[in-house]
Amino acid sequence: MAIETLVLGAGQEVGKSCVIVNINGKRIMFDCGMHMGYTDHRRFPDFSLISPSANFNDALSCIIITHFHLDHVGALVYFTEVCGYRGPVYMTYPTKALSPLMLEDYRKVMVDRRGEEELFTSEHIAECMKKVIAVDLKQTVQVDEDLQIRAYYAGHVIGAAMFYVKVGDAEMVYTGDYNMTPDRHLGAAQIDRLRLDLLITESTYATTIRDSKYAREREFLKAVHKCVSGGGKVLIPTFALGRAQELCILLDDYWERMNLKVPIYFSAGLTIQANMYYKMLIGWTSQKIKDTYSTHNAFDFKNVHKFDRSMIDAPGPCVLFATPGMISGGFSLEVFKHWAPSENNLVTLPGYCVAGTVGHKLTSGKPTKIDTDPDTQIDVRCQIHQLAFSPHTDSKGIMDLVKFLSPKHVMLVHGEKPKMASLKERIHSELGIPCYTPANNETVSIPSTHYVNAEASDTFIRNCLNPNFTFKKCNSVETCGSTLIDRNLTPELQVEDERVADGILVMENNKKAKVVHRDELLLMLDEKKHEV
Amino acid sequence: MDDTPQHQSNSEQPLTLHTLSSIRSLLINPSTPKPTLSSILQTLTRSSQLTHHTLNLLTDLATHHPSFSQLALDSLLTATESHTRLAIDSLASISQLSFSKPFELDGGRFVSLCFGPSIPGRIWMLKNAGYLFKVRPALLFTVLLGFTKDPYPYVRAASLEGLVGLSEHGDFNDVSMLCSMARDMSMKVRIEAFNSLAKMEIVSKEFLLQSLSKRVFRNEKLRETMDQSTSEQFVMLATSVAGALVHGLEDEFFEVRKSACQSLHTLTILSVEFAREALDLLMDMLNDDSAVVRLQALETMHHMAINGCLKLQEKHLHMFLGALVDNCREVRCAERKILKIVKLNDLAMFKSSIDRLMENLDSYLQDEADVFSAFSHLGRNHKKFVGYIVKETFEEVEAAFEENLEFKSARVAALLIICISAPLFNEYLGVIPPVLFSYAVTLLDRIYYAFSDIMDKDALLAYLCEKSRPPSYSAPNINHGEGEQQLPLIEGDTPNCASNGVIDSKVGSQITKEQKELASYQVEQHQSEYNEVTKFVNYILAKFPDMWQMIETSLTNEVLRSLRCLKEELSTLKFDSLGSHDALAFALLYLRIIMLLVEVWEHLFPAKGSCSHGTGELEFKLAKLDRRIKELMSTFVGFSAEEELNMLELILVTYALRLCKLETICVNLTFKRLTSIYSCVESILKERSVLPSNFVVELGKLLHECCTISINGASCSPLQFDRCLKLFSLKKFVFHGTVKHLKAELSISNNDSLHPFPFVSGLPALEM
Repeated sequence: MAIETLVLGAGQEVGKSCVIVNINGKRIMFDCGMHMGYTDHRRFPDFSLISPSANFNDALSCIIITHFHLDHVGALVYFTEVCGYRGPVYMTYPTKALSPLMLEDYRKVMVDRRGEEELFTSEHIAECMKKVIAVDLKQTVQVDEDLQIRAYYAGHVIGAAMFYVKVGDAEMVYTGDYNMTPDRHLGAAQIDRLRLDLLITESTYATTIRDSKYAREREFLKAVHKCVSGGGKVLIPTFALGRAQELCILLDDYWERMNLKVPIYFSAGLTIQANMYYKMLIGWTSQKIKDTYSTHNAFDFKNVHKFDRSMIDAPGPCVLFATPGMISGGFSLEVFKHWAPSENNLVTLPGYCVAGTVGHKLTSGKPTKIDTDPDTQIDVRCQIHQLAFSPHTDSKGIMDLVKFLSPKHVMLVHGEKPKMASLKERIHSELGIPCYTPANNETVSIPSTHYVNAEASDTFIRNCLNPNFTFKKCNSVETCGSTLIDRNLTPELQVEDERVADGILVMENNKKAKVVHRDELLLMLDEKKHEV
Repeated sequence: MDDTPQHQSNSEQPLTLHTLSSIRSLLINPSTPKPTLSSILQTLTRSSQLTHHTLNLLTDLATHHPSFSQLALDSLLTATESHTRLAIDSLASISQLSFSKPFELDGGRFVSLCFGPSIPGRIWMLKNAGYLFKVRPALLFTVLLGFTKDPYPYVRAASLEGLVGLSEHGDFNDVSMLCSMARDMSMKVRIEAFNSLAKMEIVSKEFLLQSLSKRVFRNEKLRETMDQSTSEQFVMLATSVAGALVHGLEDEFFEVRKSACQSLHTLTILSVEFAREALDLLMDMLNDDSAVVRLQALETMHHMAINGCLKLQEKHLHMFLGALVDNCREVRCAERKILKIVKLNDLAMFKSSIDRLMENLDSYLQDEADVFSAFSHLGRNHKKFVGYIVKETFEEVEAAFEENLEFKSARVAALLIICISAPLFNEYLGVIPPVLFSYAVTLLDRIYYAFSDIMDKDALLAYLCEKSRPPSYSAPNINHGEGEQQLPLIEGDTPNCASNGVIDSKVGSQITKEQKELASYQVEQHQSEYNEVTKFVNYILAKFPDMWQMIETSLTNEVLRSLRCLKEELSTLKFDSLGSHDALAFALLYLRIIMLLVEVWEHLFPAKGSCSHGTGELEFKLAKLDRRIKELMSTFVGFSAEEELNMLELILVTYALRLCKLETICVNLTFKRLTSIYSCVESILKERSVLPSNFVVELGKLLHECCTISINGASCSPLQFDRCLKLFSLKKFVFHGTVKHLKAELSISNNDSLHPFPFVSGLPALEM
């Protein structure tokens, strides 16, 4: 038997994550995202490949959504309400709470701003969410008789989860997006040691190794502090969820510590609403926030106030969080127009801005003038600070996770093709695990080990439970002890705990296959002799 | 006691809890008869009866009835051969028995117990086996190492703990293994990994540096020297070490971050290069949201500073000095503790430190005392930089004092402290305007705490007064007001005190607080006693010039009477500290000289003086006076030039008196001596550019005349000397710490009253 994987999206690219896995007869869809780069049919995964007859309810056992980002959840409403899938949809509580916000916001942008054809309505979103079953972390959910799923903490954004799936003996994990280093407001991904046949992991940063985030935080705080102590205003254009809370916790904490009295503002709207959700979803945040929650809710920002449009030109220093993140329009652009001409002010931009936005113009080169539209030209004299906070794991994190889980096969999705190829090579050569990087609409069949449902004798099970590690003696003895380095790199012993017990598969006629311990075999053979 | 037969009859049935508890009460009763005990033992040891409870009862039996202890132990030992959890329970029971000698567990049993199916049992074995039972270290090591890969986090943590135990005995030193555990998914395992890392004593520099970088270094040079497989192995190890410390410092759990900071404590000592790179990371920990972690980071930096591996750079300053305005009191305090001992490399850093300390002062008024103390240390440690900023500081302080700006006073006080601290322990640079010291006097109450580690308030005042005088112009002619005595404090003055200060600033926390307090208490004791004595001595010495005026108005007898009183008072005082003793000895000798001088002076006034005193007596007294002055000059050291001048002047007076009153045969000799002493005085006067007293001036003229007239001065008339002597007045003599009494106790063997040694070679003949 094999595990068949059909990649509908995020194969050798980033966007519209969607993977269909056929595991021991169960078909599961992991994520149902949309591609933000396209406006034509390419924005959604090609659902027709799942079932040519469009009979999705029979074709799929369930859908699992890892987190609320649109490239992971964006096509869900379309799939359930327009394409007609009525089966179960699983996601974590925060994802269920925040996904409608995201979808609604996207719908508005599509319809109201760009004047595009409506793909789904607000009612559709509400209807879709009714089909969602929320799960908790480490809660094992029995989808049907054979199919078990379990969510593990993934970091990345609030509510993001990696999903473990077990059908019979076949086990696999789909990571979604995850982060192996903790943030201020989110913890690091955490998972048990599992015995997996397949691990499907994201590979956004397949070749990047990131240094400590502390240096970036330090530079950011230093720039902001310098600006406000010089009486300047700081504009932080940011997306409402995630980055805004992360930076705000960072600033609020610094303000508290340094006893700063300069006000921090949040522009009204989505951000305030999002903060409210964060306050409720406190259990999904980092350890520190969870620990201190009883005395002080970290999202109850002490120094943060609501911003009013009339305060744009008010004198005195301040820090303002405003949407959207890349100054592509809206309130952040409005404020930018007012604040950019003063050299006292500071604009903090994310590490990556989409081409065409003001943010992109500011980060590429040092423009002194920016045309926002044919009639308006803004004098830019303010300082620009670029701050890259990425909630994705780097290549070391991916390797660490793969090493920790040691699955039989690894599949990379959600990354760029050349970088994925390089990571694939590393996983293969360093860890000795076969690795795949399928493109969109490709199917990969994992030649999983042949599984036979077999009974196991008690002795054999006991033997399995017992540790069974072997030691490999170091063979380069002659180099030992000559220098310090040599001694360090050749430890006397290397340990491997395969925990694969020696057993013998006995298949008797008319009986279920049984695995027995080798000591038992003799016994069984003896008995047979007597019978004959 | 009818329970006992019942046991035997029910022996095939498991014992009920009720029965067990009645057995227990029998066991802990010391008067239970032996036959009952032995039948209980029999019942308990029937193999079908062995449970957790019976093991406890066997232990009870062994502890309460020593005669049965060996039997009970034997049955416990039998129980360890069981294949269940019971084996480990019985081992635990054995280990509780205090009398039993270290129990030898053979290797095979140990392994089989560890590999048993019970997980808690396995953890117990891993945690305790190494300590409680003698297991071969090599075997233990192998087993522990194996279990670091166990699927259960608690087993992994326990095996790591066991490995650390081994490493403490020097049996284990595998950094790469520890580093790979630092990436474990279980928080407890990670903490344990860093705790163990802190205990490593030998780690190669390559691995240390690798642990700070997530990127695996490809050390080509090193690889060339290795064969293929070794080099592959090296890369593998480097991969597991890579970034381990960075991950630890970035960890989600503050406990892990703290532990990682702590591990740097010891690791930074191992390599300078590593210390420098680790500092970059450590600095960022000051931005941590947990105060515990920030404190630990500072603690580690302090430790680095003590070991001389805290190399602060410009890029660190924002973070490093930011801790001065942290809202956590302990953090600010820890930061200042570092600032007090750190060596700053350039002026810019020095200035920023001052600025941020000022901010600290502005934001947290309650910190004032300690901030001032930090300023004081900063000044003491960076005298060169103080020299650079002294001009602007002076202007600011000057302006503040002129305008009487109250609100600035904390800042002004801080600036003053830093300036006046610079000359402490250092040569006087001459760049600090003396007026700053006198400004500091006005703020004495506020600033003295900053110096409390080296001197008390009075000593500080004395120091300030001393320094506030222009360096070229010195004591003799300044008339100090009552109470404002001139007590220059110089380093050697209070040896305990000063060296304590130095040790404190260099070694810092190495002296535990209690010891420090005790030491400073003793120092304070001596200090205050010493101050008392000095005050008293100076009080007496200050009286002499006044008395001299009384002599000139011929109140000699009154003066002599009060001098005798003073002498009596002085000789009754007794103190144990060294400095006080010197002061007293000096005062007494000086007093005797003055008394002799007064007595001799009487002869200058023949009209009033009684003629009963013969010339012989005068000669005797003059000789005595001469000897006393010489004694003063030779047995006390540490006089300043002015003081020496005063004493030479006294000798001149003695000779002049001799020439004036005793027309002896050895005029020439006396005259010669007078001339030579005078030339001494003259050379000192030239050197110091000090104004000579009228007496010396006149004497000089006279000697000049005599020399021009005749070679031997025989022609000089006694009247001329008389005229000179009339100009003489006694100067105020101030005792201060530099003056030391030299004395030696000579013990010569075989020299007793029966066989006295008449002469000791190398020493002048003893004056009896």
